[in-house]
Amino acid sequence: MPIASERDVLRSEFRWGLLTAAAVGLIFLAILTAALAWQINPPSNVELIDPKTLHLSGEFTEDNLGTQVQGDSVTIRMIASQFAFLPRCVVAPQDRPVTLRLVSPDVIHGILVTGTNVNTMVVPGYVSQVHTTFTRTGDLLMPCHEFCGMGHSQMWATIRVVEPDAFTPDAQGRVACAQR
Amino acid sequence: MLSDPLSKYITGGVAALVVAAIILGFVVVPIVQGSTAEIDPWTAICRSLGIQAGSPARRTPVAKTGARPVSDVIWDKATLERLNHPNREVGAQLAQEICAACHGQNGVSPDSKYPHLSGQSALAIYKQLHDFRSGVRQNELMSPVAQALTDEQMIALSNHYASLTQGTLDRRLIVEANPQVDRLIRTGDTARGIPGCQSCHGVGAGGPMETPTISGQRRQYISTQLHNFATGARRNDVFDRMRGVAARLTDDEIELLARFYAEQ
Amino acid sequence: MRSVERLTLAHLWAGFAAFAVACVLGVWQMWVRSPLTAPLSTPDHYYQSVTAHGVAMAYLLTTFFVMGFGYYVAETSLSRPLPGKGWAWTAYVLSLAGALTAAIPILLNKATVLYTFYPPLTGSALFYLGLVLVVVGSWIWCALMLIAMGQWRRDHPGEAVPLAMFGTTANAVMWLWTTVGVAAEVLFLILPAALGLTQTIDVGLSRTLFSWTLHAIVYFWLIPAYIAFYTMAPAEAGGRLYSDTMGRLTFVLFLIYSLPVGMHHLFMDPEHATGFKFLQMTLTVLVAVPTLLTVFTISASMEVAGRLRGGTGLFGWIRALPWERPMVLATGLAFFMLWFGGGGGLVNMSFGMNAMVHNTSWVTAHFHLIFGGTVVIMYFAIAYSIWPKLTGWQSPNVSLQRLQLWLWAIGMMVMTLPWHYLGLQGQWRRVATFDYTNPLIAPWGKWVVFSLIGGLILLLSAALFIYNLAIMHRQPARKATTSQSYALALHPPHHVPASLNGFRLWNAVVLVLMLLAYGYPIAQFFINPAPGAVVHRVD
Repeated sequence: MPIASERDVLRSEFRWGLLTAAAVGLIFLAILTAALAWQINPPSNVELIDPKTLHLSGEFTEDNLGTQVQGDSVTIRMIASQFAFLPRCVVAPQDRPVTLRLVSPDVIHGILVTGTNVNTMVVPGYVSQVHTTFTRTGDLLMPCHEFCGMGHSQMWATIRVVEPDAFTPDAQGRVACAQR
Repeated sequence: MLSDPLSKYITGGVAALVVAAIILGFVVVPIVQGSTAEIDPWTAICRSLGIQAGSPARRTPVAKTGARPVSDVIWDKATLERLNHPNREVGAQLAQEICAACHGQNGVSPDSKYPHLSGQSALAIYKQLHDFRSGVRQNELMSPVAQALTDEQMIALSNHYASLTQGTLDRRLIVEANPQVDRLIRTGDTARGIPGCQSCHGVGAGGPMETPTISGQRRQYISTQLHNFATGARRNDVFDRMRGVAARLTDDEIELLARFYAEQ
Repeated sequence: MRSVERLTLAHLWAGFAAFAVACVLGVWQMWVRSPLTAPLSTPDHYYQSVTAHGVAMAYLLTTFFVMGFGYYVAETSLSRPLPGKGWAWTAYVLSLAGALTAAIPILLNKATVLYTFYPPLTGSALFYLGLVLVVVGSWIWCALMLIAMGQWRRDHPGEAVPLAMFGTTANAVMWLWTTVGVAAEVLFLILPAALGLTQTIDVGLSRTLFSWTLHAIVYFWLIPAYIAFYTMAPAEAGGRLYSDTMGRLTFVLFLIYSLPVGMHHLFMDPEHATGFKFLQMTLTVLVAVPTLLTVFTISASMEVAGRLRGGTGLFGWIRALPWERPMVLATGLAFFMLWFGGGGGLVNMSFGMNAMVHNTSWVTAHFHLIFGGTVVIMYFAIAYSIWPKLTGWQSPNVSLQRLQLWLWAIGMMVMTLPWHYLGLQGQWRRVATFDYTNPLIAPWGKWVVFSLIGGLILLLSAALFIYNLAIMHRQPARKATTSQSYALALHPPHHVPASLNGFRLWNAVVLVLMLLAYGYPIAQFFINPAPGAVVHRVD
């Protein structure tokens, strides 16, 4: 049985290597295309904030949380803390760009919103920021997806996506869920 | 080191790929993304480096600030350091002069309305005294008392009661719970989003710093506080932690839990 | 029994003992998460178990296996006594003492921080000190591997280091680089907090240092499996290694690409910017290359074996392979699982798709399949292959070994395929209790039970594995007759370039890549420190 010479071996490996490079290159190109054409990035926001003073003043005091409309931007601010989100329910409009901003006063938390591309860690010391557009109406489940202590399994919130007509901000630009 | 052709190819290849990735990741992608969001190229690049906040692909909303706090207490290094260095004689003396009348000798309260203090967490007592003084928590008896205290006195008192080991307030559970209570205290209720009580109030729970010890506390006091949290009459729990839980407990559950923890 | 055999057996039994305990815990954990009622199913027990399971599987099974197997390869592939056996035993005692030291706070529920340590959650200092000791023992192993290879090269100037040793030492070099991250995190950030010397901790820096270790460590686990692919499987199949050069290239590519990619574990974190995530994503794409090269080279080696055994036609050689040999069977099963596990990995490392799967069951499925499946099945095969040489006794019943391997592969697929699906449905991680009354979550229940069944199959397989090893310690096992030999290459290398016989160049490349990929991302925590988070003690 003829056995391939060393040259043949290396040539076949080289050809396979080209195939590998092409496959890997294709994957890379797909990622690059998504980044360029649809601005798809992982959430990154190097914005520092002191977790120890969040409740005192500033953007994330209790009264300032929830959904707020300013001009044409819709911002949802939430606290992720042991072991609940505040607010536990927020309203978001359908088919409009929404920015979620989350902070933690204590340990690492994380969120995903089922059925959407919203996914981010919430790291104490930083403001997590996710940009998205909700395309379907309904109550979406937003659990804490990172281990944060014994109460982790019970930590979840609701994002209520409503049709544009039903999204009616008050005089301060706020929209809240009907019940707590 | 680069003596053989293979090492030249690999090193060269890696270098080329890394250079390409750097150009793409720090220049091309941010600039292209920024252009669709009307972010200028320089800002987009700074954001992709992380030297400025925000995404290179989306505008950042302007944050409105303001609003009043629910508690003035912050657990920073300075506060924790001061709490670690109390004036012990002042604490004992003040406890006798001011607190014992209601909270009893050695912090063991004789009246079911007033909570035990013996063995309570120093951070928990300090926070409540502070909140009474600043007015975010209100009680017709405690508010004037706290308003007359200085910060140093509060620290002394908090540590005094924490150091009393009468065994009145102790996080270890000694009496077993019936299944319903056991489930509530250890697991909570996932459907309602209630964590188990022990996940903050238990030994080694790793929960919020100011979590008080409730096992061994007066039944009526626990019950009253839970009702006050549920209605919002008491709102000095930072970020709704207890209000959210209490509002989701039924009245029966509140009574069961108060009874259980009081028995410990 | 020469003492390297005792040394290797001591290490492997330590690793497999941790493995066995962890398997039981894993099944119980899946039971707790399912709609079925499990005993002791409170969060404190659940997370305690998750911590123990993770530490045992990720740190103990792996480190002890790599060390033990490494000593064995060093002596048998270089055909000379292992240098510094006294040091090797010292390292073993250190690592074992460390493992037991860490186990105590875990058992006392004073270290429920999971194997990924989530600061500012902080456990007992003993837990971290114990794990530090385990790593220190492994550093001694690294030194001994480097010394062994160095001594051999001095005595064989210009000759190619035997491939098995080259891979082992590449792994040692990589491990030294890898452990810098977690060692820095534990020594400078976590231990001071655990000892009460600091009250706040920089969480972003901790996570970043941990990510440095977190990806490269999986290659530390994986390289022994690849050593088996390249130097043991072809011989067991009755053939030859298709290309020795590609083997060396694979180990070199793992060394340079496994380290500057850890940030893909932080894609969803706010503290790093898109540019650095993009750079590390690109490098992560490249780390798929050595695996793809390996698939080709090993398949080609198997084809050589199959055709030598009379297989004809395009695929006839596959049937002609000696599948009754455990190493050959394991290689086939490993490659099968590699398609799924590796494919999942390509989703994880993608900029956009990671958001769909981060911290869902997809991730759990991925690493159980790729590590628990592809890599650990090769650990089993390696154990079966070298045990007779270690103990002097052969297995009386090799079909039990094959059965165990089949059960493992089947169990792993049954367990992880539903997890992949559930992850895409949005099922998130580290949950002790799901609300199965929620209409969104209710349909997940049956798949969770399905996974549990897979876990039970795995548990059976694990028990059978321990049994299969135990019976090779005494009669009625038959006396072992063969000594260790490694696969010959189709064209044994007379001369290999320096770049494929040593690591000086690649250390320089790693240094440059790490500076580019992690330089500013770490420096930023010192240039512009984030406010620290208060330590939350769990002990």
